[in-house]
Amino acid sequence: MHIQVNLPACEGHGLCAQVAPQVYEVDDEGYVRMLVDEVPPGLEAAAAAGARACPVAALRAVP
Amino acid sequence: MTPERIVVVGASIAGVTAASELRVAGWTGRLTVVSDEAAPPYSRVPLSKGVLAGTHAVETAALAALPDDIELRLGVSATALRLEQRLVELSDGSALPWDGLVIATGARARRIAADGQRGELVVRTLGDAAAIAARAATASSAIVVGGGFLGVEVASTLRGLGLDVVLVARERPLLRLLGRWLADLVAEAGAAAGVRFVVAPDGVALLGDPVTGVRLDDGGTLTADLVVSAAGDLPNIEWAEGSGLEIDGGIVVDDRCRAAPDVVAAGDVVALRTPEGDARRTPHWTNAVGQGRAAASALLDPAAPAFLADHYFWTEEFGLDVKIAGRLPLVGEPEVVRGSLDDRSALLTWRGDGGVVAAVALNHRIPVARLKAMVTA
Repeated sequence: MHIQVNLPACEGHGLCAQVAPQVYEVDDEGYVRMLVDEVPPGLEAAAAAGARACPVAALRAVP
Repeated sequence: MTPERIVVVGASIAGVTAASELRVAGWTGRLTVVSDEAAPPYSRVPLSKGVLAGTHAVETAALAALPDDIELRLGVSATALRLEQRLVELSDGSALPWDGLVIATGARARRIAADGQRGELVVRTLGDAAAIAARAATASSAIVVGGGFLGVEVASTLRGLGLDVVLVARERPLLRLLGRWLADLVAEAGAAAGVRFVVAPDGVALLGDPVTGVRLDDGGTLTADLVVSAAGDLPNIEWAEGSGLEIDGGIVVDDRCRAAPDVVAAGDVVALRTPEGDARRTPHWTNAVGQGRAAASALLDPAAPAFLADHYFWTEEFGLDVKIAGRLPLVGEPEVVRGSLDDRSALLTWRGDGGVVAAVALNHRIPVARLKAMVTA
């Protein structure tokens, strides 16, 4: 699984990192940063859950 | 006992988060999510902004898709809850059995039109926002009724499209929600943008059929091409009435989002008891996510940790991007920690007993976790 990030849409609310801290973090400017390039199988459910928690729908999980 | 079949009623962010969390927790049973909407799950956040403006296609509001091992039933609503038989009855005449149930039926727009009066516009669903966007393209004026976050954001978006906008509210917009200082800041920015604010303490009535304006409480009238109501929301609880669940302005849950054995609830439909004994809903995105996760955990594990409310909100209007950590409303004047108010970009704190009670990022990018960490009391 790969996560597509629409970075200009990111408003930095940090829900992704709250739901899946193993996959997402928020940088000093308040933008999402991926902690993994390719999501390992054990983290796919968490990565997708974190993507869905984005209020501005800036994250897409691509299987 | 671990459930074998879980039904989630409602596919907005609370229901979707609960379903997601069940899978994150490793639960592999049969999982069905029911939605009364035709569209796959989406975020309501852009509905008062990009989708309403018509600058963002409706597809851009779609949440990352649910996986194939979650059955999504669109276009059906729950009509009754049978706790003893462990069934949810649906509008298509079928009934879904469950041994774990997540109630996430959310809320709907409160309408102020008279019975039978047509043409009231509200902003709750993707369809609502798209319909207003279509009409706004050829409109030149709008009246927005309601001075909460939604009303102010809608007024801002419509003004941004070049419409003449009047916002009518029972008191100064956002005053009760945000406190005087921030409410003043928003009102000044709105006025500078050209929005006219009208206060009608006793409310308004919609005029015309279809609606063409409002009658104010002093007898005066206003008319416009678009009249949008943003007069609050009502929890979708009617289908669960008589089921035996405690309902008090929402589905009443305990500190683990439990409403009954093997029944949990999350999101805008939930009411929590305050220490004073009142039941209160807190319909915010952050709460819906937190409760969705807590509700899922509580279904699978009786010893799951309690839900801790995360006091984080945001709103955007008139060029102000406001992120707030802490408890509202904000009392008194803030301290400028970084940036400057003249530049309209600042990090602000409000102090109360025992330290910082709220921190606000105004047009200021900062990791929200850091903003929350500034709150010490």
